[in-house]
Amino acid sequence: MVRVKHRYLLLNILYPEPEQYPWKASLPDTIQFHHPSPDDLTPQLLARAIKDQISILYGDYGAGLTNNGLNIKYLSPATSTAIIRCSRDNYRLVWAALTYMTQLPKSSRFAQARSCVMQVVRVSGTIKKSEEEAIRRAKNAILKAKKDAAGSATEGLNAILDQFGPDVDLEVLRQKRSKPIATLEDEDDDDLEMMSGSD
Amino acid sequence: MFYDLNIPYSASHAELQRILAFSAELGYNVVALNHNVTEKLPAEITNAIPSPLPFNPPSSLTLLRRCTISLSDPAQNARLATLAAAYDLLALRPLTEKSLGQACHDLECDIISIDLSLRYPFYFKHKMVADAVKRGIKFEICYAPGILAVDDGQARRNLISNATGLIRATRGRGLIISSEARKILAVRGPADVVNLACVWGLGQERGTEAVGRESRSVVVQARLKRTGYRGVVDILYGGEKPVAAPVTEEEDQKTKSAKGKRKAVVLRDEVEDAANTKPVSKREQKRRAKKAKQDAAEAEQGDAPIKTIDAQGAQTTVSA
Repeated sequence: MVRVKHRYLLLNILYPEPEQYPWKASLPDTIQFHHPSPDDLTPQLLARAIKDQISILYGDYGAGLTNNGLNIKYLSPATSTAIIRCSRDNYRLVWAALTYMTQLPKSSRFAQARSCVMQVVRVSGTIKKSEEEAIRRAKNAILKAKKDAAGSATEGLNAILDQFGPDVDLEVLRQKRSKPIATLEDEDDDDLEMMSGSD
Repeated sequence: MFYDLNIPYSASHAELQRILAFSAELGYNVVALNHNVTEKLPAEITNAIPSPLPFNPPSSLTLLRRCTISLSDPAQNARLATLAAAYDLLALRPLTEKSLGQACHDLECDIISIDLSLRYPFYFKHKMVADAVKRGIKFEICYAPGILAVDDGQARRNLISNATGLIRATRGRGLIISSEARKILAVRGPADVVNLACVWGLGQERGTEAVGRESRSVVVQARLKRTGYRGVVDILYGGEKPVAAPVTEEEDQKTKSAKGKRKAVVLRDEVEDAANTKPVSKREQKRRAKKAKQDAAEAEQGDAPIKTIDAQGAQTTVSA
């Protein structure tokens, strides 16, 4: 049996529109763009929005093509990061649909709409690699924001991050996620499986 | 290096500053601010975009200034050269098939930027487009009108159909992709744009070149045309002029005290120089050469040092 192959899109949700609160408008631009997402943004809601966008763009045909295996693997509103799984053949369609999105889905009719930009920062064949990339980016973002804000506070943060190393951060991310990663689906060793997986 | 060669310049600086900051955040390195000219050119052509800008753009961005002229009447383009000199980049926006043909064949510009969100009653012919590409002019695809679904998605439909038509006509060569984002929401990252182009039928490689290398070649060629000699040679760095070392007080005193003598020395040197520079006849040259050879031979026979290596291996020099 040949396994179904996937692609994992690591996604940043950016908020380019100016803040409505004047006290937040004085923050540096980087921090404003990487604003935390609203708490009512759930993986189900995001998946629904993506599927809607796909059917607007490509109609029933596209929706049918991409529906298989389309899944939100990870969504962290705090860092506005998401990992989306989709089938390998049609990941470009999903990506293009993300590019065309300009609004976050609304949780209820009365919630206020937020405009956003979805930026795909990494496409990988395994969820592990996109996870590592997410951690690396989050680290860099914090360092950059600190540097923009003050400049002197960076050393302390650097020391803390170096002290614990990447492994601990990975654990933190794992605990934070709403459900555990399905480790069976990790596709680290494609070649090995190709050799042994013809049962 | 990623290039976005079309960000419309607007007088509302708060919005523009935000767009530039967002472009830098998304990973662009070079951004061109665009000024649109739709009516007749004024008598005195000046650059409409102030430089430096009245606000602080992000330091990682290189800013260029570009002008786009709408072409409908073929007779209006008498002063393109003066306009080109005022801006870093000059783009043409043909509105009719005739003006498109003219822009492809004769007019001197850097970019042909067709408004792809409109429907045209003609299609892009390979021969015409290839002529322009051969002359080094690039075609521009502006993606922003398709991102925001204004007028019920009609603009997006036209954009996709025109873009695929343009990709077909150019065979993917000589294309650049830029945003033309009037609103900040329409700016997308370079990787996202490349993927969009992929979906439209431009290969991944060509797409990456369209936001990178092709755009860079436009910028470099345009600069060479404006500053270089006949568009071929340009001086990037000519070295610095040697700075005369400041004369210290001591040296100053010395020269002052030796002033009388120095004059004589200089004079004598000059006389000697004059004697030396007098042309030497061939016979005299030969004579001198022979004498020099003899001298050398004598020196070797007479007291040339002989190098010997003693038993310990240490090298010693003994004179014979």
